[in-house]
Order: sequence, then C-alpha cells, then structure tokens
Amino acid sequence: MYDLVSNLSLGLSVALSIKNLGLCFLGCLIGTLIGVLPGVGPIATITMLLPITFGLDPIGALIMLAGIYYGAQYGGSTTAILVNIPGEATAVVTTLDGHQMAKQGRAGVALGIAAIGSFIAGCVATVIIAALAAPLTKMALLFGPADYFSLMVLGLMFAVVLARGSVVKAIGVILVGILLSTVGTDLESGEERLTFGWSEISDGLDVAVVAMGMFGFAEILRNLETSQARDVVHAAIGNLLPNRKDFGQAAAPIARGTVLGSILGLLPGNGAVLGPFASYTLEKKLAKDGSRFGKGAIEGVAGPESANNAGAQTAFIPLLTLGIPPNAVMALMVGAMTIHGIVPGPQIMTKQPQLFWGMIASMWLGNLMLLIINLPLIGLWVRLLKVPYRLMFPSIVLLCCIGIYSINNSPTEVVMTAGFGVFGYALLKFGLEPAPLLLGFVLGKLMEEKLRQALVISRGSFKTFVDCQLWSGTCARPLSSGLLVLSLILVVIAVLPSIRRSRDQVFVDD
Amino acid sequence: MADAPETSATGKVRGLVRSPLDLGGGLFLLAIAIVGYIGAFNLPFGHMNSIGSGLLPKSVAVLVGVFGIGIALQGFLFDGDKLESWGIRGAVFVLGAVLVFALTIRTLGLAFAGPLCVIVSAMADRDTRPVELAIFSVVMTALCIGLFKFLLRLPIPIFPPGYGPF
Repeated sequence: MYDLVSNLSLGLSVALSIKNLGLCFLGCLIGTLIGVLPGVGPIATITMLLPITFGLDPIGALIMLAGIYYGAQYGGSTTAILVNIPGEATAVVTTLDGHQMAKQGRAGVALGIAAIGSFIAGCVATVIIAALAAPLTKMALLFGPADYFSLMVLGLMFAVVLARGSVVKAIGVILVGILLSTVGTDLESGEERLTFGWSEISDGLDVAVVAMGMFGFAEILRNLETSQARDVVHAAIGNLLPNRKDFGQAAAPIARGTVLGSILGLLPGNGAVLGPFASYTLEKKLAKDGSRFGKGAIEGVAGPESANNAGAQTAFIPLLTLGIPPNAVMALMVGAMTIHGIVPGPQIMTKQPQLFWGMIASMWLGNLMLLIINLPLIGLWVRLLKVPYRLMFPSIVLLCCIGIYSINNSPTEVVMTAGFGVFGYALLKFGLEPAPLLLGFVLGKLMEEKLRQALVISRGSFKTFVDCQLWSGTCARPLSSGLLVLSLILVVIAVLPSIRRSRDQVFVDD
Repeated sequence: MADAPETSATGKVRGLVRSPLDLGGGLFLLAIAIVGYIGAFNLPFGHMNSIGSGLLPKSVAVLVGVFGIGIALQGFLFDGDKLESWGIRGAVFVLGAVLVFALTIRTLGLAFAGPLCVIVSAMADRDTRPVELAIFSVVMTALCIGLFKFLLRLPIPIFPPGYGPF
C-alpha cells in the first residue's frame, strides 16, 4: 500500500510538470478533434497523429499519445451519440441509446453522463493498473520464452472467441496477420522473406501502414457507400449536466460497467471490446423495464461508456507488464514506443520508473482533462460534425496522407497504405473482420522469436511447451502447459453450438 | 453501390453455391496463401533445434490455405449471404488521391499536393460542388501547413525543391 502511494506520487510529480501537463492537454484536445470525425476510430487517429510526438522526449511523447488515445475514444462516443456513426466496434453500443437520447433533445445529458462515467471508470482503472503493475511485473520475470509463446497463443484464441461472426474466418484472418508479420528480413539468418525482391519492404511492414490502410482508408470507403444514412442531430443539445434523477439512474450502471470493463480489459486478445456489449446486456437484464433500452435509456449509455473507458485503460496492463499488446491500439503503442527507443515489457518499471509511473499518473490526469475540455467544447464538436461529408472525407484523406508520410518521410509508405486500404476493403467485402489480423500481425513477430528461443533452449523438442507427465503429476513448465490447455478450452467453447448462440446474441442483441 | 436488386428479402440465396460470401472469402484467403507460399518458396525449413527462416512463413501459408479451402467449402454446404457489391468509384478516387499525394509531395510540395489530394478524393462523391471544393481544398491545405509545418515543425516539403520561401 505504501509502495502504491509513493509510486503514484512519483508519477504525479512527473506528470504534473507544466510541460507534461500541457502535452497531456494538447493530446486530449487534438485526439478528440480527430476522433470526433465520423468513421475515424482510435487506430486511425493515433496513426495520423503519431508524427506530432516525434520531436518530444519519450516521457512527454507517451503522455501525449495516451492523451490522444483517450481523446479519440471520447471523440468516438461523441460521434456515436450525435451522428449515429460509431468510430469503432466498442462505440456501436453507445449509438443504440445515446443517439435516441440525442433525438429526444437530451444529447447534452448523454454526452455529460458518458464523460462523467468515463471519468469515474478511468479513476478506478488507474488505481487498478497501479496496484497490479508491480506484482504482474514480478510474475512476468518468471516467464520463459515457451511461456511467452503460449501466452500469445492464448491471446490470439481470445481474439478468435471475441471476434464477431465465424470462428473459422477469425482464425483464418489471424493467420494472414501472422503471415504478413514474416515479411521482411529474417532477423536470424538475414534472408529476405516474402519481399518478392522489393527492397522497400525488406525492413518489414510498418504497423502504422497496415493499421492506417485497413482501418483508416477502408473505413472511408465503407462510409462512402452509406453516407446517406448520416443524420446529425438537429434537436437542441440541451442541458449538459445530468440532473439528480439521471445520476440516480446512472450510478449503479457506471459502477457495474467499471468493474466489468476493468476485468475484461485485462484479458489478452482484445477483451476490452467485449466490455460495452457485456455491460449493455447486463443493464438490460437488470432493468425493471427492459423495453426502455434502445429508446433512450440513460443506463444504456452510462454503463457501456464506463466499461469502454475502463477496458481501454486496463488494456495497458498486459502491454506495460508483459510487453504483449492485447489489441490493435496497444500494438500501435508498441510501434510508438519503439520509435522513442522504449521496449515495452517488465523491465520498463524497474529501469524507467519515472516513465512508467508518469504515464500511469497521466492517465488519470487525461481523464480529468477530457471531462474539463469536453463539456464546454461540445458546441464546437457539434458544429464540426455539421460539415457535410462530401468535404469531411477529403480532409480525412489528406490528414491520413500527411500523417503516414511524416512517420518516415516516405512517399512509398503512402502508396503501401493505399494498398492496404484495398486489402482491408476486400476483407470487409468478403465478410472477414480485419481487427484480428492486426493482432496476429503484431504478435506474429514476437511469437516467432519466442518460438525459436524456446526451441533452442529445449534443443528442438516441442515438448518444452507442454512438459507434463500426467501419471506422475510432475510438470516442468506448468505456466506454458496451463496457458495452452486454456487456449484449447477456449476454442472448444467457441465452437460449441449453445455458447455460440449466446455469444452471437451479445453482439447481435442491438 | 447499393445491393444487387435480385437479393431476396432475407438476403439468402439457393443453388449449388449456397453462400457466395463464404466461397469468395475462402478463395481470397487461398489466394493470399498461394502468394505467401511462393514468396517463401526458396527459404529453408531448418531443423527443430535451429528452425530456418522458411518454417514459419511456409507452415502459416499452408494453414491459411487450409482455412481458406474450409471456408470456401462452407459456401457449398451452408446457406449464407451474397457477395456485396464493391464501391468502385469510391475506391478509385480515394486511393487515386492517395497515390497523387505520394507522387507529388516530394516534387511539388504540400502546397500543391494538398489541394490535388482533396480535389481528387472529393470526386468519389457524386454531388461535389466545384467552386466550394476549390476554395475548401486551398483553405484545408493552408490549415494543414500551419498545423504541421509551423506549429509542429514536421519536415514536410511545402513548395517544389528550390522554390518558395521555405
């Protein structure tokens, strides 16, 4: 407990410097500004804004990036409520009741309760991260290469279970991601793999290029087909601060959403995406009158928004303690950290405590700032959203181009991003969800590295991953074995018909 | 842009191919697998205690192919959705704009690449208004130059090399 307080105060002393406070503020503001644009989710926002952190020192850059991330999340909720276009999967739930509230002239209350719920969830999640970081980091140091490999297998299996639609398709798409991760020079032998003699990709594909193409450009193409469906709320925004009755209705959903989101966000393999759906389903079940949901129930905004923000934050835990990104956004964070010379993993906390705790403290500050900047700025966001889409999307295209070009000052990467745009659009058109691909892409490289290390240590025996003898009850690698067994159970559960049905319901229950 | 008119009310189709969407998706994965395998064709497998550079790409490519075939077979066995039609116009102009940007950013600079990119991508939408678009593209570019060049100091070229004040 004493450690927790002293660590957090160290973090606050870093995060509260005028410069870092300013960077956090700027990150939240610009992140919200870009995140508000319809169809631009956190992944596209972070990729676009990555270059603006290049001139900063690592601590400042990470604080700003975290701010951009929260800003993008909150901007997405704003768009979901006001325009009924979710910037990303997790905001889908918010559109259900949030947009209905907006149509009834209660947009202000919906935005207000989303901000307040997110803030409360963010506070709790920050404490959870601070409390879990030290013990998990100690545990991570016990992990050998085989355990890491098995943990990543488990993460990918979670991603399969949590992906929408067919399990077979999700696995296929993840494998494509792993295949893409092998493009470039092999680190051990120096041979070029899958480059087809093209020297521009001999360093491998940049995660920002893949992400921007598949989530930025492909999303614009999809939105262009449905641009008619956009309806910016014309009703008055109304009061921003919820009244006492609203608070009474929203308090319990916020608390439950925070708990659900925090726990799910910890899971490897994009557990955070499940938070809002789970929270919405739970609130609907618990409500005295479930039929109010979908017609502007405040619980349907408060719960999922809190779960979303809590999960968005606890998703940092696997990244910061184990060095394993649990979802696509965190994968981008790895890319960003690498650019600044930081290798995510258990060693950050011991070797760079200022950076580690400074970032965690800035998470809390970022949430506070979102609350402060967004409530007065909502009018501005509404005006921004009234810009017609025929002008909005060319601006988004230009911003994407400048962002990608600036990462390495490379026109070739801009062309490659366009290529991945086509690829992502094709995946969507063939009913294949692109989100698991990015996770496979990021984990693929790490997995191959750990697989090789594990096999070198075991002198080529695959038994090292499940070195257990059932008859004598001894287990040389209990961690790895346990994780693999868990992965297997997950797959079996995912294909069981009864579970499948209820899983589909969670997603389709819109 | 809209769904093909012959789509039935439920969106289901009957015939030999019961789910064109699955068949298409499966074949798409199979194509990726083939390209991947060809790209890794000459790489060695290695031995178990020092696995070669080819082991992972080849085995993953084979797995992608297996899943692709599996998904394609599903298309014959289970009822599913039709293939969606592609928004070709959007793809051509939006991605064309990106290519134009990539080609002109080094030679002409952002002052020219910016408006070109905005104008070409705007053509993806049918109801563009020329005057509005022309003014908007210049204003947007000016804002970007202000933000990225002066506020954030990114080394992005604004004018053709050798010309212009900065």
